[in-house]
Amino acid sequence: MRTSLFLDAVDPWVNWDWLSNHVPYVLAAVQEHVTLTLIAVVAGLAISLPLGVLAHRWAGLRFPLLTVFGIFYTIPSLALFAFLIPYTGLGGTTAEIPLIGYNVLVLVRNVLVGLDGVPADVLDAADGMGYRPFARLVRVELPLALPAILAGLRVATVSTIGIVTITAVIGLGGLGQLILRGLIESFHTPLVVATVLSIFLALVADLALAGAQRFIVPWARPA
Amino acid sequence: MTRLLRPGLWIQAIAAVALVIAACGGSSPSAPAKGTIVVAGFNFPESSILAQLYGQALAHDGYTITYKLNLGTRKVVAPALESGQIDLYPGYAASELEYFNSLKGEATADPVATTAKLNTYLKSFNAVALNPSSAFDGNAYAVTKATSDHYNLKTLSDLTPVAGQLVFGAGPECPTYKFCLPGLMSVYGLHFKQTLTLDTDGPATRAAFKNNTIQVGLVFSTDSDLQSLGLVVLQDDKHMIAADNVVPVIRTKVATDEAKKVLNKISAGLTTTDLFTMNGQVELQHMDADAVAKTYLTQHNYFS
Amino acid sequence: MNILQSVWQWVTDPAHLSGPDGIPTRLGEHLHLSIESVLLGALIALPAGIVLGHYGRFGNLAINISNVGRAVPSFGILVIAFQVFGLGDLPIILALTALAIPPMVTNSYVALREVDPDVKDAARGMGYRELAQLMRVELPLAIPLIMAGVRTSAVQVVATATLAALVAGGGLGRYIVDGLARDDQPRLVAGALLVAGLALATELLLAGLQRLLVPRGLRLLKTPAVERATSIKAA
Repeated sequence: MRTSLFLDAVDPWVNWDWLSNHVPYVLAAVQEHVTLTLIAVVAGLAISLPLGVLAHRWAGLRFPLLTVFGIFYTIPSLALFAFLIPYTGLGGTTAEIPLIGYNVLVLVRNVLVGLDGVPADVLDAADGMGYRPFARLVRVELPLALPAILAGLRVATVSTIGIVTITAVIGLGGLGQLILRGLIESFHTPLVVATVLSIFLALVADLALAGAQRFIVPWARPA
Repeated sequence: MTRLLRPGLWIQAIAAVALVIAACGGSSPSAPAKGTIVVAGFNFPESSILAQLYGQALAHDGYTITYKLNLGTRKVVAPALESGQIDLYPGYAASELEYFNSLKGEATADPVATTAKLNTYLKSFNAVALNPSSAFDGNAYAVTKATSDHYNLKTLSDLTPVAGQLVFGAGPECPTYKFCLPGLMSVYGLHFKQTLTLDTDGPATRAAFKNNTIQVGLVFSTDSDLQSLGLVVLQDDKHMIAADNVVPVIRTKVATDEAKKVLNKISAGLTTTDLFTMNGQVELQHMDADAVAKTYLTQHNYFS
Repeated sequence: MNILQSVWQWVTDPAHLSGPDGIPTRLGEHLHLSIESVLLGALIALPAGIVLGHYGRFGNLAINISNVGRAVPSFGILVIAFQVFGLGDLPIILALTALAIPPMVTNSYVALREVDPDVKDAARGMGYRELAQLMRVELPLAIPLIMAGVRTSAVQVVATATLAALVAGGGLGRYIVDGLARDDQPRLVAGALLVAGLALATELLLAGLQRLLVPRGLRLLKTPAVERATSIKAA
């Protein structure tokens, strides 16, 4: 099984010249990538928190919610992006709908796990202290659910950063554009640079959120 | 309470940094622009070059250009134009006609007539094709030198008797593209042993040639690396390929007299040799499509 | 709904049920890629995770490798594999294997670490030697979490194998890529539904396998109603 590097020696894996001449191009791609990711994660959280709270309250909501989003989760992102193009065009909306949908599943699950995990006696104590339901939710239950929610944010963020590269196939994609270009032009450098940067972004996000987790809930076991 | 605030600040700091990254940059040029034009290209290098040529010329004339390069096949790019998602793409007259007329077979070897016919269909989409260039790039069918010697193949007609022994490779749009499988079957009666879906004249097709996974493959007539790959292009003796001259297809809303003048000027000066040369710079020397386009425009004094 | 009708027509069309681009063929290709990748990944990841977890050594290394592994974009790694190894199944399987490894390493490591030390003490006290302790005491207790890792990997690989079509590979992803390229919506949606169905089937099958393998005593323990999301969606 010979491995043949079937491209010429003209093309090293990283052409540093090219890289130093293309810093703005690469940075613009990183920027687009970060933007798409941020929107997907923040919107996902904004949707998942109320949904998770509702599903926690009304047991009947839980199964349908998790099932619907769970099924959505199994659909490959490439197919969803391609499918949406005739309806939502070639812009950020087409990219964000699947990204947000995937994140909702991850985050709702973790919101539920977090809220489920609040000990009954803590709830009792809060009730005894006179907390009304909404205040109890915001000041007791959600803070205790934070470790699980943050863990979910980590998973959602790392996933999103990876899937955003695939949006290149519909004309977006941030770093995915460099990967696509590397493929089409048989050019190593943008491909390698984009892959490494994508890994780097995901690791930084993961570590930052893990660090935040340790800060906010130092008593909790790391997820 | 204060304890919660401190780590909360931490998260806010991270979020702020991320938002700054997302928000900064991408500011619009200070000079009043003539409006935005979204320029798209197909998913092969020559299209990126052409898109850059037209786009940069328009940008020099004061328009704000957004690029959507490597967007996909004609079946992705053309609908995007129809729906207004993009405003301009560099098309190839005959292929655009056979797309918009649903494979009716009206394209001829005359680029002007072909483009005129194309425009009759484009009208209903609020789009127009401008003047066709003399620069031509059509589908070409190549075999390896070994295959050519073995079966004595020089033209596509030579393939007809032996096609059943050969494996053909092309891109995913080939089965529905007039100048690909439908044309090969109807004009030359080619029925290959097997058809593999690889990519449109991309690295997978070249790799497949190299390890003999395919013996016949779709390439483009302006590809610069055919000789170095040892590929022989078979002659289209029955003239299946029609006038695939480069022609910018634009939405009427951006087809101002000014824009049309700029674009037609580029098309008028562009030659097939230019395509060949620029393709070589991108495919073989890994230069950027935008840099190559810029050099061309500068050398031809479009920027003065 | 019209689109469901057209998808149904597409899927039941005899032309799509045979031949090199037919559903059975593409399904077979997809399974081939997925199964080989998960097996190869398990071959590497499970022993590594189990041994590291048993000895409690290099835990941080294991977790960190996994974290980096989770952060790798599948599109990028597939294209890199294609550029190194060219056409064929090998580059795709290698790339998918790399993606399959992290969840299995993490889960098996954590699974072994979480075995109650009292149980291990008891086993040692009963005279179990190292290997026997591992095989007959620790592993059975660790199986639920290990299998969860394998399940996660498998579903991930099935979903990510769709991207193989972007580098001229086969499998069900071919329908998605070709559907996009030809503006053939029934093909595209059929491909998406087939992959989703396969992923669900994989999940159910391996969940069933997990139930078979978990010792009865453990199975009777209460399992949480909702499981935390720990796996990364890679495609």
